[in-house]
Parts: sequence; C-alpha cells; structure tokens
Amino acid sequence: MYSIALDTSAGTTVALLQDDDVLAELNFDENMTHAERIGQALSEVLTKAAIRPAQIDRVVVGMGPGPFTGLRVGLAAAKFFALGANAELVGVCSLDAIALNFYEQNQTAGALLVVTDARRKEVFWAAYSGLSSGIPIRVVGPSVTKEENIKDFIDVDSHQRTEILVTAAALGKIAFSETSTELGANYDVSPIYLREPDAVPGKGKRVSS
Amino acid sequence: MLIREATEKDLSGIMALEQECFSNDAWSEDVMNSELIASHTFYVVVLEDEKIIGYAGLSKLPGSNQADIQTIATSPSVRGKGYGRALMNALTAKAKELSATEIFLEVRADNTTAQKLYEMFGFTRIGIRKNYYQPDNVDAFVMKTSINTKEPIVLGIESSCDETGIGIVRGNQLLANVISSSMEQHAIFGGVVPEVAARAHLEALTPVLDEALNKANIALDDIDAIAVTNGPGLAGALMVGISAAKALSVATGKPIYAVNHLVGHVAADILANGEVATPTIALLVSGGHTSLLLVRDLLNDVQLLGETIDDAAGEAFDKVARVLGLPYPGGPQIDRVAKDGNPSAIRFPRGLSLPKDMAEHRYDFSFSGLKTAVARHVEVLEDRGEEVNLPDVAASFREAVVDVLVSKAINACKENGVPRLLLGGGVTANARLREVAAKRCLEEGIELRIPPFDLCTDNGAMIAVLGAQLIMSGAAPSNLSFGANSTLQVTKVQS
Repeated sequence: MYSIALDTSAGTTVALLQDDDVLAELNFDENMTHAERIGQALSEVLTKAAIRPAQIDRVVVGMGPGPFTGLRVGLAAAKFFALGANAELVGVCSLDAIALNFYEQNQTAGALLVVTDARRKEVFWAAYSGLSSGIPIRVVGPSVTKEENIKDFIDVDSHQRTEILVTAAALGKIAFSETSTELGANYDVSPIYLREPDAVPGKGKRVSS
Repeated sequence: MLIREATEKDLSGIMALEQECFSNDAWSEDVMNSELIASHTFYVVVLEDEKIIGYAGLSKLPGSNQADIQTIATSPSVRGKGYGRALMNALTAKAKELSATEIFLEVRADNTTAQKLYEMFGFTRIGIRKNYYQPDNVDAFVMKTSINTKEPIVLGIESSCDETGIGIVRGNQLLANVISSSMEQHAIFGGVVPEVAARAHLEALTPVLDEALNKANIALDDIDAIAVTNGPGLAGALMVGISAAKALSVATGKPIYAVNHLVGHVAADILANGEVATPTIALLVSGGHTSLLLVRDLLNDVQLLGETIDDAAGEAFDKVARVLGLPYPGGPQIDRVAKDGNPSAIRFPRGLSLPKDMAEHRYDFSFSGLKTAVARHVEVLEDRGEEVNLPDVAASFREAVVDVLVSKAINACKENGVPRLLLGGGVTANARLREVAAKRCLEEGIELRIPPFDLCTDNGAMIAVLGAQLIMSGAAPSNLSFGANSTLQVTKVQS
C-alpha cells in the first residue's frame, strides 16, 4: 500500500510511504509558506519515490491542532489530492506524530507530554502513556490552555518532554499501524481547532458626541 | 417541429415507432424503458402536432471520452424532411456538452440513406461487424466522428471571500457553476469574519466539487486544466482554494493557472454574452471591492482607474443596515426598506465628488463618511426623541451610493471614449443600482452589460472561463509555487 502523508500544523511536511516504509520525505520548518510549498512538495516526493499519483492508495493528513491558517492548507490539499488520485483519506492527530517520533528514539520511555505553540500565550498539548502496536497511546488531550495550567490536568513532573517536531512520515506510519488494529484508520477527517473563531458580535457605537 | 428530451411518459409513443421502423429486430419495451431512465443516456423525441414522429438516443459514461449513438428513428411517412438531421444535431450537441471527443455508431450496411446522414455529420467508416443484424444476417458498419477539442475544459476554484465557488467551463461555454456561501454564519457579526469564512471553505470544498462535476456530468479525468483565484481577497480564505487546487493539479497531472479575481469578474461577461466586448469600463462592486476598471483587452490590457479608499460599497450597506437596526447582509434589507422611501428626502454626502476631491480622486470612491452621516442623522433624531423615517433614510442612503457609483462609471466611459459599461460583483443585485445604471446609460448612449447574478457574485465559473481564455491564448501554466496575494494588482491577470 502506498500512502502520501502531509501535515501543515507547524511547518510543511510531506512523505511518501510503502506500508510503514518511508520512500521519500520533505520537511520545511518555517511556518508562513504552507500554501506556497504544498504543491511542489507533493510533486517532489512522488518524483523522488518514482510513484505516480494514481498508485497512491491512501492520503494521511495531520488534523492538528495547530495555527488555523496553516493547518487548513494541509487539510484542503489532502482532500483534493485524495479525490484527484482516487485514494482514501484518513486523519491523524498531529501531536501523535510527535509522540511516535519521540518513542522511536526513546523506546523504553513511559509518560510523555507533547506541547506545541498555540500563540496568544497558550499551548496545544497532549499526554501519552507509551506505545502500543506502533501507536502512541494518548491519555489526555489534545487540549489548548496556558502552559502553567497543564498541571491542573496531569502530573507534569512525571512526564518527559520533547522538542521533536511533527513529521508526515510519522503520521503515515501511525495510520498504517492503525489499519491493523481493531480501531482501524480514522476516516472522520476534520481539523482539530480547539478554539472558536476569534470574533465577537459587533455593537454599534455612537458617531456623534 | 418540436424537439425535446424524452421522458418515461414517451415510452408508448416511442415503442409504436420502434416496431414500425425495426419490426424484425425492434427493442423490447423493457429495454427501451431502461434506456430512457438510465443516467448515462440522453434521448430526444421530435413531435409534430404532439405526436412523436422520431426519436434518438445517445449514451455517454462519465469518465469516458466516447459517446455512442444508440438508435435513431423517424416515421416512414415523414422521411426526407430534415427530422433525422434535427435529431442528429441534438445528439451531437449533447455529446459535445458531455465532453465526448468521439462519437460512435453502428448502421445497417444496406441502409445507405442513414449512412449519408451520418457522413453529413462527419462520421466515417472504421470497421465492419459481420452479420450484426439478426435475423436478417446483415452486416453493420461501425462509424465514428471526432469532436473538435480545441476548447479546453477548465475547472475554476474561487475562495477569496465568503463564497466557495467551483465552476466548470468548456472554452466559453458554462457547464457548471456551484456556489456555497457562508453568509449566514457571518450574520451575527455584521460582516465577514475571515476565520469563519476560511473554516467554511474547507468544509464546502468537497461537496461543492462533487456537485459541480455532477452538474457538468463529467469526471475529473475529463478536465484539461485547473484555474484558481490567488488574489485579491482574504489571505486565509484564498489559501484554502489555492492548496486544494494545487493538490488536485498534482494528483491529476492537469496544469494549474493562478488567476486574478477582479479580472475574473470581467471575464464573467463571456459566459453571459459570449465575449467581453472591448473596450469596456467595468464597475465591480461587492462587500470586498469597489473598483472601476478600463478594459481594452481582457488578458493584456486591464487598467485600474480607481477604487474605494475606505469601505467597499457592500460593506457600507452592511454598516448602515446595522445603524438602522436591519439584519445582515445589509444590501437586500436596505433595498427592501427603501422601496417605500423618498430617495431625495435627505441629501447625504456623495463621497469624493466635490471638485477638490475630483482632482485627485476622479474615479475613486469613499463610503465611510456617508456611513457616519447616516449614523449621525439617526442619532440626532433619536436624541431629540423624534421618529426616524426608516424608508426615507434607507432610500436616501442607497441613492447616495448608487449616484456616486453610476456617475463615476459614466464619467469613466465618456472621458475614455468607451461606449460600454460592465457591472460585476454581488452589489449588482441591488435593484436601484441596476435601475439607475440602465437609465443613465440609455441617456448617454452607453451599452450596459450585467451578467446574471450567479455570474456577478463571487463564483468559480468566472475563474474557470478566465483560465480557459489564458489557455486558448497559449499561456503557459503557473508555477506551483504561487501563494495567496491579498492585494494582487489588477494588471496581473495570471500569477
């Protein structure tokens, strides 16, 4: 099975996998050029892996959480790539990919806290207990709070932290592992915003004194 | 003679003729019925005095570029009068509309009359099927014609504001124009909230695409190119359409064209009238834009004469509606209330119309002062405890907006020696704008063109048809690295 995985919840990351074997990947850290990058990145991983779009069976997309404008680039691209390539579309929480990358490097690790920037002095976060069948076990989250408030939900001190970034390759691996579990892959693909749009109903104000 | 699409109700009339014409190898009623109701077939009947005297059917599967003429028959009593030709015209037109590039048929080897008819439509013999017609043991000739495919099928994606639009055209012909608006979600905020609009675009993408393909009755494979709005507009909203379009382009291998939203509004005239007659002045008025363009050539010479220096006209309607306690969107509400009002009751200011402003801002617009004037008028009356005559205020405000829009547009026509004016944008739905524009253009001998509302409001079809013009002019596709440009200049037709 060939999968193309992509995530724009932080930077832009795209990978092409055969089962859980990564054939090609591209990772761009900067977080302001998602829409510019995404087309070329998809095209390049296909070329690098020498796979035609029609051979792609599955599109895996990071559903966030992440800054909204960038996050939507990946979801919009994933939806139309899947339609264009006649592939199935599955979603994975982007924080899970960070957790997988961490556990792959720290195989004996236990409790993990994944924290990413949510702007406005808040963080997106999720807590994990370990790895099962290649899938990070998320026990709390994803949530958005002030960083100092995480302790109200979990025992922060007993969790390791990581600076590892999200990669599309990890998303693709998680989705592949999920297929072989009872739960199966997640076909309910929608962005994990965790915040309502920042707008309030306007009140009319006087123009004359 | 009347030709129309056949329905199940025509079955008995068709069967009578079927048996008369093909006695030996006539189709059964069941077969004919399933042909009539199938979604991939198109049957027409020709009637004289409400009696079916001929019928014909075409089959075209979505995703295939080949169509087949299934059958054609005319009553023996009316042959040689052009009915067969009329039926063939209807079928080939439909095949073209369904994006077929080839049409096939089988004809009895001994039916030279029919073969001559097919040859008139460009069919040539490409093969023979031995003893195809039973029980007569007659061979069939397989014939084929090709449809000119110089007109590209283009899918256009628009997401610059609060409308998710996907349109499909073949050359200058409209095949589908599907629009999903998030307007209702913005109502409680009194104006478009960019984040709300962007979220709605992401939700709408897939259903809107599905519906557009369905309406055009084509598959993604049939499309020759993708066009997408890359500006001007709301950056976060634009990015949804751009990202989707790029991914679709990579996944299908079809070239992509990044096109200018405002020039797209001008190109909409092609779908309404077959061409953009040039030179023309274009007045584009919506909730996001108020622009006056001089178009000498759609692709090579579009010039911005002026635009709003503060609020867009549609925005002014929304804000004044709020002042008057009317719901969002303000345009239709003010139109409704103003119907019973006197447009000359209150002389509200005409923005940038005084001689000193005209020197510097001859074709520019300003509506924020007008909005303030309306608000002040209402506040003063309310403070005095006097009643506000809502219809008069609405009508007088609307008159001030329309007066400035039309006056500056007509000035632009006269001063540039341009005999026509094209309107575009959602505010063209405003009844008074259409009325005043029609009257003043008539007085000045200026031809006024206003496309139907679905082509005036933000839509994907105008983006598709602009893409088609670029392709037909030989323009190379856009590089995949383009981004959203919220302030894209009107002179940049393609990015």
